[in-house]
Amino acid sequence: MDFPMLSLLILVPVIAAAAVMLLPKERTELHLPVALVLSLLPVGLGGVLFARFESVVGFQFVEQAPLIERWGISWHVGIDGVALPLILLTTILIPISIAASTSIAKNAQLFLAMVLMLEAGLIGVFSALDLIVFFVFFEAILIPMYFIIGIWGSENRIYAAIKFFLYTAFGSALMLVGIIALSVMQQNKTGVSSFDYTVLLGLEISPAAQAWLFAVFGIAFAIKVPMFPFHTWLPDAHVQAPTAGSVLLAGVMLKLGTYGFLRFNLPLFPDAAVRFAPVVATLAVIGIVYGAAVAIVQTDLKKLVAYSSVSHLGFIMLGIVAFTQNGLDGGVIQMVNHGLTTGALFLLVGMLYERRHTKLIADFGGLQKAMPIFAGVFLFSTFASIGLPGLNGFVGEFLVLIGSYATLPGFAIVATAGVVLAAVYLLWAYERVFTGVADKPENQDVPDLNLRETLIFVPIIALILLLGLYPKVLLNRIEPSTAGIIDRIEATTDYVEPTFVIGEPSE
Amino acid sequence: MSDLIWSAIAPELVLVILSGLILVVSVWKKPPLKSMAVLVGAGLVATWAAWGLQLSRLQDIVDAGSFGALAFNDMVITDGTAVIARLILMVILTLAVALAWPMLDEIGQRSAEALVLMFLATAGFMLLAAATNLVMAFIGLEVGSISLYVLAAVARKSRLADEAAMKYFLLGSFASAVFIYGVALLYAGSGSVSIDALRSFSGRVIVSPGVLYVSMAMLVVGVLFKVTAAPFHAWAPDVYQGSAAGVVGFMAAAAKVGGFVALVRIVGITYVRFADDWRPALAAIAALSIVLGTLLALSQTDFRRMLAYSGIAHAGFILVGVAAGRSANEAILFYLAVYTVQLVTAFGIAAIVSGPTSSGSPFSAYKGLASRSPFLAAGLATTMLGMSGMPITSGFIGKLGVFRAAWEKGLEWLVVVALVASVAAFFFYLRVIVDMYMRDPDEETADVAAEPQVAGRVAIAVAVVVTVLFGLYPSPLLDLIRNVVS
Repeated sequence: MDFPMLSLLILVPVIAAAAVMLLPKERTELHLPVALVLSLLPVGLGGVLFARFESVVGFQFVEQAPLIERWGISWHVGIDGVALPLILLTTILIPISIAASTSIAKNAQLFLAMVLMLEAGLIGVFSALDLIVFFVFFEAILIPMYFIIGIWGSENRIYAAIKFFLYTAFGSALMLVGIIALSVMQQNKTGVSSFDYTVLLGLEISPAAQAWLFAVFGIAFAIKVPMFPFHTWLPDAHVQAPTAGSVLLAGVMLKLGTYGFLRFNLPLFPDAAVRFAPVVATLAVIGIVYGAAVAIVQTDLKKLVAYSSVSHLGFIMLGIVAFTQNGLDGGVIQMVNHGLTTGALFLLVGMLYERRHTKLIADFGGLQKAMPIFAGVFLFSTFASIGLPGLNGFVGEFLVLIGSYATLPGFAIVATAGVVLAAVYLLWAYERVFTGVADKPENQDVPDLNLRETLIFVPIIALILLLGLYPKVLLNRIEPSTAGIIDRIEATTDYVEPTFVIGEPSE
Repeated sequence: MSDLIWSAIAPELVLVILSGLILVVSVWKKPPLKSMAVLVGAGLVATWAAWGLQLSRLQDIVDAGSFGALAFNDMVITDGTAVIARLILMVILTLAVALAWPMLDEIGQRSAEALVLMFLATAGFMLLAAATNLVMAFIGLEVGSISLYVLAAVARKSRLADEAAMKYFLLGSFASAVFIYGVALLYAGSGSVSIDALRSFSGRVIVSPGVLYVSMAMLVVGVLFKVTAAPFHAWAPDVYQGSAAGVVGFMAAAAKVGGFVALVRIVGITYVRFADDWRPALAAIAALSIVLGTLLALSQTDFRRMLAYSGIAHAGFILVGVAAGRSANEAILFYLAVYTVQLVTAFGIAAIVSGPTSSGSPFSAYKGLASRSPFLAAGLATTMLGMSGMPITSGFIGKLGVFRAAWEKGLEWLVVVALVASVAAFFFYLRVIVDMYMRDPDEETADVAAEPQVAGRVAIAVAVVVTVLFGLYPSPLLDLIRNVVS
């Protein structure tokens, strides 16, 4: 690779953050527009990545330079079909979050810098191919998110920020144990320590060691996802975070967990992955049903969307541990879908809160009349989220379900209940908030979306439609990489991917 | 074979001459502090130059194919460890003098004494780190320690400060006595007080063989006391809370550098054959220090007490490396370098927030600091993240190094204990950040202006840059340590 695209992509947001901090403090009207314009640069770079990405197996845009040679740590970055969609999602959601942050009054400069630092960290996580570099980014993004929740969140923000930080840090500490152990294993075997992902792929690990390594990596990622029963930090963090924080938390940061499973747990510990698949699938399905059931009874709109994430992320996990082409593809594409639709829903809840200063469903009713565009966007996002055919959610959920039915049929059947329940909680919420008669006077003249807010939703709606109608644009790029993961599992274990053709009766 | 090679102790010589000059000038001319600054600045530059001379000499020694060169009848050695320990001590001395300036301003006539004590303590711990003879080590330890006892009381205003100085003196002297008894027993057992007394040891001892084990235990305990490892830590919280705010960071940091380097030499050279005996013991002490320090730090209401307890935990983290043995030496020096810089900075900021001669620094004083002084808040936040071992700070690299070495040596359980404790430790490090950034100042603190002087500002900025830079790109420092230590 001649041009360091990925390093540039990580560096640009850092420089943008510094530039925003250097703006004169009293020129508050400049801060947000400058940050917004600068945050569009990574979108452009992401576009270049997308255009030059080739649909082949293996890593692209690879860069490698030694950092600490004797410990075997190097600046090794590169992306494959799993990382690419998530990096694009990150670059797109950042300007959207910034544009939606006009109501941040206190020290907006620092807030915008934090959002941009978060972007650098997220892109770094998705492109790191050295376990220490990965770990550093994985942990470092906690700092901006901790500040975003803790400084600009609502009443209970400090509790939520610390809970979020400690939960994730605990998982990371476990993972660090695993990372150190891996490098020492490599050193004992070859005499040279290495934290390089591509080198460690060649390490033969005994089934017993795989089991505990799978567990420590798995718990770290399960907390991030979050999978049942590690999800209790999520409602607090989401509800207390400012809108931009919720969007990025749900839109991108939760995907770190599912991405981690795909990148590390499956290829590095295939034997343990196959053995533990039923356990992970069980927790995933519990998450699907539990998240949906809890979402139904929520009285707070933001909490409802938060719990819907637990349910949706369960789908992604189920697709990943199905070890089938469809399941993995569905999992990856569903990561993007969830980022777009849940991002949209959090934005809408945030805008509603700015207008009415409440998030309680009972305080609303009949809003559709006063704000038709808003209601339309909300309904559209709802449909995307519950997987209406033609919109993106359908593609992902359908692939996950047929993919997991091939290897985990019982789990797939229970998971289908999640699709139905999603329709229940989201449509019921829509009905209570937007339809009927606006009997409360303050609901009768709520202003509709203004131009800025409408523009925020244009890219999201366009992408939801694009991925719903023509998912191939992403699937083409994802497939070689996910196929590579399955090949690796088949090559190193007894597992064989079942050939499952729709329409043919199986014996 | 060896003789008077003055360059082997060049930095110490400069510091001692400088101390003498300051004493004479201060009595004779009674100059204002501003003119004293010129002398101090020139002296520091000269000490740095002397250190540079040593580094170049070390390069010659290494090129000649030797690990180090002995001098003064095998009393001190010029080797990588000594040179790096001097570097760390010089850095913290320089930062500490810059940060202590408001205090020196306030104590007026006694400021010369405070400066002299800081220089002498530095010289003492430098000698301790370079000593290859345990009597020499004891002299270095005592020059350093006695300077610190006096320094603790240099700006005493309250009973807390009196108590701190007295406690430090009594318990510190006791520990020194234990150490020198250990030296005596080693002599009884081997007939030598050299650091490699047991190299040609045949196994025949004049008195009972158990005496060597006792001597090892006493030497190690004497040093562990100085570095605040549990269970020899009880004095630290009172002393670090009560002593003069402006210099307490230096006191804590300098003793740790000298003590740990001496400990590495004692267990790694003198008792290297007893590794199977000291490894489990040091590992247990490390675990105890980490767990106890972390748990007690959680419940503190005073920032300086919290730093004292976190220092106990940090002593434990470094001991993880010591227990791992030789392969961890680079990581230990790296850890010491970055941690002591953070320690001096954190105490320095506490002195700015709570006053240069204060005793104690309650957490409530930090409420809303981010709006009163964004610079100090950012500096302290970075320092706290560094101490917590957060990635992108140098603290992470230090921890990674010692944990890796310990895992290699089969101390897996210790690494797990240490990592779990470092997660719990986030809680109290973040607590300061919460107070600074996420709470509004209350009525008492709202209009307390807290701004550092220029020198302090530069020192804090340097510490922050170093913390982040060596977190992202640690190679320059690690390579320097590796080149001279290996």
